[in-house]
Amino acid sequence: MAPKKSQASPAAAPVVTTATTATTVPTVSGPGKKTSSSSSSSATTSSEAWSNVVTNILKHYQKTTPQRTKLIDLFMAFLVVVGGLQFVYCVVAGNYPFNAFLSGFSATVGQFVLTASLRIQTTEANKADFPSVSPERAFADYVVGSLILHFFCVNFIN
Amino acid sequence: MTSLTSFLLLLFTAVAQAISSSGSRLLVVLEDVAEKAQYSKFLGDLEGRGFEVTYETPKSDSLSLFHLGERSYDHILFFPTKAKGLGPNLTANLLLQFINAQGNILLALSGQKQAPTSVVAALSELDIHLPSERTGLVVDHFNYDVTSADEKHDVLLLPTPGALRPGVKDFFSPATPNGEVLALPQTIGQVLGNGALLTPILRAPATAYSYNPKEESEVLGDELFAAGKQLSLVTTVQARNSARLTIVGSADMLTDQWFDAKVKKVDGKASVATVNREFAKRVSGWTFNEIGVLKVNWIEHHLNEEGQGNQSNPKIYRIKNDVTYSISLSEYEWDHWAAFQVPAEDDLQLEFSMLSPFHRLSLKPTVNSEESTTYSTNFKLPDQHGIFNFKINHKRPFFNNIEEKNTVSVRHFAHDEWPRSYAISGAWPWISGIGATVTGWLFFVAIWLYSKPTGKGESKKTR
Repeated sequence: MAPKKSQASPAAAPVVTTATTATTVPTVSGPGKKTSSSSSSSATTSSEAWSNVVTNILKHYQKTTPQRTKLIDLFMAFLVVVGGLQFVYCVVAGNYPFNAFLSGFSATVGQFVLTASLRIQTTEANKADFPSVSPERAFADYVVGSLILHFFCVNFIN
Repeated sequence: MTSLTSFLLLLFTAVAQAISSSGSRLLVVLEDVAEKAQYSKFLGDLEGRGFEVTYETPKSDSLSLFHLGERSYDHILFFPTKAKGLGPNLTANLLLQFINAQGNILLALSGQKQAPTSVVAALSELDIHLPSERTGLVVDHFNYDVTSADEKHDVLLLPTPGALRPGVKDFFSPATPNGEVLALPQTIGQVLGNGALLTPILRAPATAYSYNPKEESEVLGDELFAAGKQLSLVTTVQARNSARLTIVGSADMLTDQWFDAKVKKVDGKASVATVNREFAKRVSGWTFNEIGVLKVNWIEHHLNEEGQGNQSNPKIYRIKNDVTYSISLSEYEWDHWAAFQVPAEDDLQLEFSMLSPFHRLSLKPTVNSEESTTYSTNFKLPDQHGIFNFKINHKRPFFNNIEEKNTVSVRHFAHDEWPRSYAISGAWPWISGIGATVTGWLFFVAIWLYSKPTGKGESKKTR
């Protein structure tokens, strides 16, 4: 138990640092947004305005999101692509070994849900909702849950 | 000792098989035992085929169809009698009991003598109707014998009956190389109900009609009993237990006189012989189970799949199994069992049924031998588990009924009998989907652990 606590306490330190960056970022993005709106009014093209919005959001995301959360987002996007491909294959080619479709598709969906849970539990903004769940604990739960999911899916696809 | 007894048993069965397939005790009921001289050739033929004939009159006290609840005789042959009834030993009820006990009856009636009341009652139970007042004479002004019935036209000359319809074996048509005909003197016609068990052998020609000879009116009107093809002259009934009853409308056609007679058609130039003797042999032979008797030798079914056990008649199958079913059948022909050939345009069918048939398949002959034919078929069991029957329900005119039922269970797939997913190419995309998810997850976990954020700078570095 003692080492776990000792692990938890250093983890708290970076959380604080990221929180400080998060608080500072809006002040940075605020002027950025103002400049983009001013440029769109000068160009008077909505498409340019939209692309500005998008680039701003991306910039904001790049700056404010912690690296692990980005990793989670990347993985979730990957799962969406894989699941989408499987679903399209089912629609196009038929669902003949239906259990195979179910297990393949539900593996991606389940993995997506588990990863989303991990994202919720490790995000700084939700820290208050999970006072008793440290990021390490959340990750351990995630690993165990994923392994069980994989076990079931591989079994079910036979 | 055992070999001797078995030899004797074999000899006994051989002797028993040399006659009818269902016993040789024949009771002949006559008005007077002396009358048998008229039928000497017909009765001599029967005795020559191995029947043990007992002659009785209806009034005889020793006459009894049953003894201690068992049939005393295997077959009964009735010749016409003068008496109105047949007495207490031959009531309609007893006759029907005799049929229910699988006894066979050949009933010879005559247009000149009234049919006995008990016989009329028994026949009406079977939906066969005789003319009112139990007399009636069939005449035909186009197909009569010129030599003997020039005035009364009551000796009918008919060709041999031929097959009842396509797909039915023709048992009753003797060869007629010289245009021989059947002569039916003083015939009483019968009218048949719609029962499926009734089959006429010989119908009257379209120009024949039946009238009551006692009514001497010149004009035929309402009293006409029946005419043309309505009239059956020789009728058979085969009960559901395969007991047989045959009614021959003309007893005189069985007499020696008409076995040998020369007859002449209305338009005929020369006299021709009758084929009454051969026809009588066939009709009596059919009635007394000498022809048209089918026997199931064995039934076998087994799994027809490679790499599986080849056990005979298993109690259980799995859905979608390939199964072979075989049945061996023999047909009795006068004195021996022969191979049974299904008539052309007919089928021997197998039903695989649970309440209603899931399959109804024609069986094909596979193995032919001297004494039997094996019919088999291969098929795939339906995709339905439950208790099923292999069922043969072969009911055809002039053949005894075959009803065979073999019950098997059909189970569903066991959990380890499904094909593996990688054996099905359609499942490969989804297998690779799981693979991609799992490997992606492994990479994710590895990078997650590697990129533990100790500080702002390090998180930027891993980015």
